Amino acid sequence: MPRPRAGAPLMATQMTLPRLGQGMESGTIVRWLKQEGDRVEKGEPLYELDTEKVTQEVEAEASGVLLKILVAEGEVEVGKAVAVIGEEGESVPDSSGNGASAKRVGKEEEAETPDRVEPDEEGAEVGVEKPAEGPAREPERRRGREAAEEEAERAEGPAAPVARDGGRVKASPLARRLAREHGIDLAAVRGTGPEGRIVAEDVERSAAGAGAAAAPAEAPPGEVEVVPLTSIRKTIARRMTEAWQAPAFQIAMTADMGAAMRLRAQLVERTREGEAKPTFSDVLTKACAVALLRHRAVNAHFAGDSVRIFPTANVGFAVAIEGGLVVPVIRSAERRTVAELANARADLVSRTRGGKLTQADLEDGTFTISNLGMYGVDRFVAVLNPPQAAILAVGAIEERPVVRDGEVVVRPLMELVLSCDHRSIDGATASEFLGTVKAFLEEPALML
Amino acid sequence: MPELSYREAVRDAMSEAMRRDDDVFIMGEDIAEMGGSMGVTQGMLEEFGPDRVRNTPISEMAIVGAGIGAAMAGMRPIVEIMYQDFTTLSMEQLVNQAAKHRYMSGGQLTVPLTVRTQGGAGWSPGAQHAQQLEAWFVHVPGLKVVFPSTPEDVRGLLWSSIYDDNPVIFFEHRTLYGLKGEVPDQIDPIELGQARVHREGEDVTVVATGRLVHEALAAAEEAEGEGISVEVLDPRTLQPLDEDAIVHSVEKTNRCVVAHEAIVRMGFGAEVAALVQERAFDYLDAPVERVGAKFAPLPFAPVMEEFVIPHQADVLAAIKRTVGRNGDAGS
Repeated sequence: MPRPRAGAPLMATQMTLPRLGQGMESGTIVRWLKQEGDRVEKGEPLYELDTEKVTQEVEAEASGVLLKILVAEGEVEVGKAVAVIGEEGESVPDSSGNGASAKRVGKEEEAETPDRVEPDEEGAEVGVEKPAEGPAREPERRRGREAAEEEAERAEGPAAPVARDGGRVKASPLARRLAREHGIDLAAVRGTGPEGRIVAEDVERSAAGAGAAAAPAEAPPGEVEVVPLTSIRKTIARRMTEAWQAPAFQIAMTADMGAAMRLRAQLVERTREGEAKPTFSDVLTKACAVALLRHRAVNAHFAGDSVRIFPTANVGFAVAIEGGLVVPVIRSAERRTVAELANARADLVSRTRGGKLTQADLEDGTFTISNLGMYGVDRFVAVLNPPQAAILAVGAIEERPVVRDGEVVVRPLMELVLSCDHRSIDGATASEFLGTVKAFLEEPALML
Repeated sequence: MPELSYREAVRDAMSEAMRRDDDVFIMGEDIAEMGGSMGVTQGMLEEFGPDRVRNTPISEMAIVGAGIGAAMAGMRPIVEIMYQDFTTLSMEQLVNQAAKHRYMSGGQLTVPLTVRTQGGAGWSPGAQHAQQLEAWFVHVPGLKVVFPSTPEDVRGLLWSSIYDDNPVIFFEHRTLYGLKGEVPDQIDPIELGQARVHREGEDVTVVATGRLVHEALAAAEEAEGEGISVEVLDPRTLQPLDEDAIVHSVEKTNRCVVAHEAIVRMGFGAEVAALVQERAFDYLDAPVERVGAKFAPLPFAPVMEEFVIPHQADVLAAIKRTVGRNGDAGS
């Protein structure tokens, strides 16, 4: 059976062929300096080994009695067992795990080192001496017994002293998973759980320690600027992390902004002294608000065990400020004219910049628009603004060649990317909504 | 919201179903004039008369058998087995008949029977009158098993059990009958197979049933004082089981304690432990702990009975073991 019996209590030390230099795959044992039964001390020369480069003496890794020489002479792969050192009278552990599979070159050794696995007594008796006379289905029964023994050994495993290498480390399943994810060797982690078990906290501590130890080594000294998080950055960090846990998907459409531009120009002409000039953003806010009321599933919050659908569109828009951004909300945007929206927007922006926003200005949003067009961004994907079901990312209006009626013409285009929380809404709903927004921008009269 | 005792809540669900629906009737030992050995059916004979509130001979096999027959004939009977210890006498009817007819008839027959029974220790009824045997029935496909712990739950779940087309074994806990709690004005049916989270927490999930729900809540309160945040979840129905609720909770807390009054070995907690390791293995940060009665017949002597059955302190000790704190270490 090729299975290494890791769980068995091995008191004896198995000596394996060491790797003495880079690239060394195997070595040839020239001769042993000790005989089986000899007393050896740790560090004492044990055998002569010929590698590609040199011949050298290999030292004993432990003190005790050289119980067995597994490979008397010849070529051996690195890591294969070559000898066993233990206490006098101690039985030699089953070497079939790897010793027997060592590549041997000499002839005498083959005779000397039995290729057969040392079977346990019962197995030898039943399996070798009287296979035909055994009780019905004896081979299967024997396999069953062996499996049961292995099972029992495994169960006892942790109680027995374990070898450091390859031994089973006591750790919780969660700790194991975290160690896998962080690439941490559990053997190097100290367990603080019951009976010394490594628990998640130990792995996390170890991961944090490793990170802290590694970072200063790589970073040039004195150049890292540590900026403590302001409360607004903390809020952004917390809320965006929360948003990242939502299963979000994005859909994109491109709107021809020709008609919206004409509409905006007309509205600007009619703007009275002292009132805010409407922008594309205001036209877009209006289009979105009306579209939200026609596709109310998008005008929603995801609330854990329910979806809350709102009767009015409170549209938030992202405003950059020093060190962060805020999202003031225009309430019931669907009921306001574009001119009214412009005034509301201008008021909120000026109060945002002046630090005069109140909590009420930031609450009850049902949908958010984030516009980076003024920065020359063509398109981007916005992170959700939880618990809102959707957020619209808007790029710059740009003249681009498009095909209309078989002709290449130049049109002012704007890209719209809608991010949606899939727990609240699905692709079809989102597409219908965004299609309506696009239609409103391209033919504003449809909003009526 | 009105307040009812657990006992009144059971009575209310039955009476309301009987007022609404002529197919519903009850039978059992001493349930008519006497009002049941636990007083649950008091006053029902006066309201519904002897045809619908029927005393039976002392034969559990006959009681359940008659219930099955009535159920297959189109009624929705509720039968009472005075002590769940006595379900042993009706096992043939429950396991081989009630549980099997729908399957063996290819769905041509249904057995909409509700078998109400009660048990629970803590009042020295001795070895034969207070066992918690619910796990036996969870092992039998074809039976549903319900075990409510509050007046609100017992009312909503009994209603759903009566109107379920399958045989339901409905366990009430003896020591909870006097427990009072608010219930909705109208009976609010509770779907079988839905767990209830009584208390949310972060560090360990206690999956508890029956009386142990209350012991677990008290233990959670105590643990909170020591900085351990405990979630208490009552599956309420053991079959069907709200596996998702249990798994999701353990995924959050990474630790699990199962607590019931029944004996630990082969108890319902074993099934929960198996479920958790199957579906949340990589989330576990500690072995699943089981809290239950010691493996012994229930003693009559009060001191011994208390020794054998689990209490708040046992749940708390298990909670602390899962978070790696010994009772005395305090760190």
